[in-house]
Amino acid sequence: MSTEQAYDAALDLLRRLDPRKLKEHVQNLIQLEPSLAEDLLSSVDTPLIVKRDPKASQREYLCCDYNRDIDSHRSPWSNEYFPELSAEDVQESPFPSKNLRQLEILANDSFDIYRDLYYEGGVSSVYLWELDDEELSDDFAGVVLFKNGDKTSNAWDSIHVLEAVREGTDVTYRITTTVILHLDNGKQMTLSGNLSRQTEKTLAVPPSSSTSVEQVHVAHITNLGTIIEDVESQMRTMLESVYFEKTRDIFHHTRNSTSGNEEMSSDVHQELMKGLQSL
Amino acid sequence: MSDSQFESIISQIISDTPSGEIKQVYEDLITIAGENSKETVLDAIEQYNIKNLIPIEVDGKSVVLSRYNREGSKFFDPASSISFNVDHLNREGFDIQPFQSTQLNQVQEDLLKNLQKYAEKNFPGYLTTSIYPIPEESNKIVLSIVSMKYNPSNFWNGHWRSEYIFDSNFNKLKGSIDVQVHYYEDGNVSFKSSETFDLDDITDVIKTIAVKEKEFEENLDTSFSQLNETQFKSLRRRLPITRSRVNWGKAIGTYRLGKDAAQGK
Repeated sequence: MSTEQAYDAALDLLRRLDPRKLKEHVQNLIQLEPSLAEDLLSSVDTPLIVKRDPKASQREYLCCDYNRDIDSHRSPWSNEYFPELSAEDVQESPFPSKNLRQLEILANDSFDIYRDLYYEGGVSSVYLWELDDEELSDDFAGVVLFKNGDKTSNAWDSIHVLEAVREGTDVTYRITTTVILHLDNGKQMTLSGNLSRQTEKTLAVPPSSSTSVEQVHVAHITNLGTIIEDVESQMRTMLESVYFEKTRDIFHHTRNSTSGNEEMSSDVHQELMKGLQSL
Repeated sequence: MSDSQFESIISQIISDTPSGEIKQVYEDLITIAGENSKETVLDAIEQYNIKNLIPIEVDGKSVVLSRYNREGSKFFDPASSISFNVDHLNREGFDIQPFQSTQLNQVQEDLLKNLQKYAEKNFPGYLTTSIYPIPEESNKIVLSIVSMKYNPSNFWNGHWRSEYIFDSNFNKLKGSIDVQVHYYEDGNVSFKSSETFDLDDITDVIKTIAVKEKEFEENLDTSFSQLNETQFKSLRRRLPITRSRVNWGKAIGTYRLGKDAAQGK
């Protein structure tokens, strides 16, 4: 049996099983077929983990597979891995280049302000990495993360995985967004799950040869910020309609105490129409 | 991995499957775990069908499976006096035989008619109702309503099940409602709700069920609105408090200055 078939079957399963137990089911599938581990852990979005950065006044940051090395996660604030890695390990650990780190700092600062405006709480983190080894290329990839929740089990996690590829004075941004939303009214009613969508947009960014590095960075963040703000607004509308309208509709396809009345009212409606037509 | 670990994983996966997607999950599991796992997966599906009161087709009629109409490896339908084997994956009965040892008396038959009458008016899904006497306790019967709507081409399905035990000696009604909705276009969204009842002084069983289920339905409608208005709204705003989109770019820092100034920092 090919691993690819098993992987597709595993993804299909995770789309069907209770999303509240996503992490358990990823582990279950890995136990059934250990060769799935790497692919599943890197491609399945699970709720983000929050850690504190001891070198940035215990400020919180978000952790996922993209900022992980061994069992540690890189903080966007101090640019260090916690729990701290041995000097030997750190030499092997991934870090963005100096230039990309400058962009990462600006991104974290800007999305932190965005987070405050829209979420009025929670945590945000941005991680960037080089897309290829070519020194000259300024293409990059990254992930923009937001998490907000209350003390009960209500939580919103957004995960934007992005790629920025330059062609002349244009940069194409490809973003895959997943929002994981859990809601619980504390009275035996839960709404939980995730929705995803992909976005691609090409926007102008002046080449670094014609302008300062700082201006290029500002252009990237303006572009990414605008796209992500749009995507999150659309996703919020989509989540609202799926969670509160669609699922309620489906529920009423199984149980509807007013369906008898509706038939009656449609009869009334037809009679009314007949009455109007005969006028 | 030991056999019992393997069985436990398969059973966890099957028991978290929405009722309209068992076949796909079965196929996926066989692809991942191999043909050898068939028997274990089918055993888990049998347990699932009994626990979730899954209706199966027997000779053109729909019959609810439960632990109350099981005898050995077979199941029976007291309302039509038959027993049968079950293909749990395809939800079909076969080897149908006459069965007389558990039957409905006149009172129970009338009750089943009333239950059906009530259910037909209130459950627009694929509907199955049943009344099963409890063998060792002649004063008790089990009533159930199962309503399902599967729509795989639009990536959703819904499942209602309610089950009650009525004790005619003490006029007590105990029961539960479980509903589940799954929506999986561009994602995986699950809605679940349940409630249990323990009621005394029952004079009219069907009427009591009707009242409780209407209350449950109305409470759900209210809860949907409340979750939207409160919990959802507090997680993320539609627009910032300024009511306009973020002004990205170099000047974005002024938001922070503005906020600090407002807080007197």
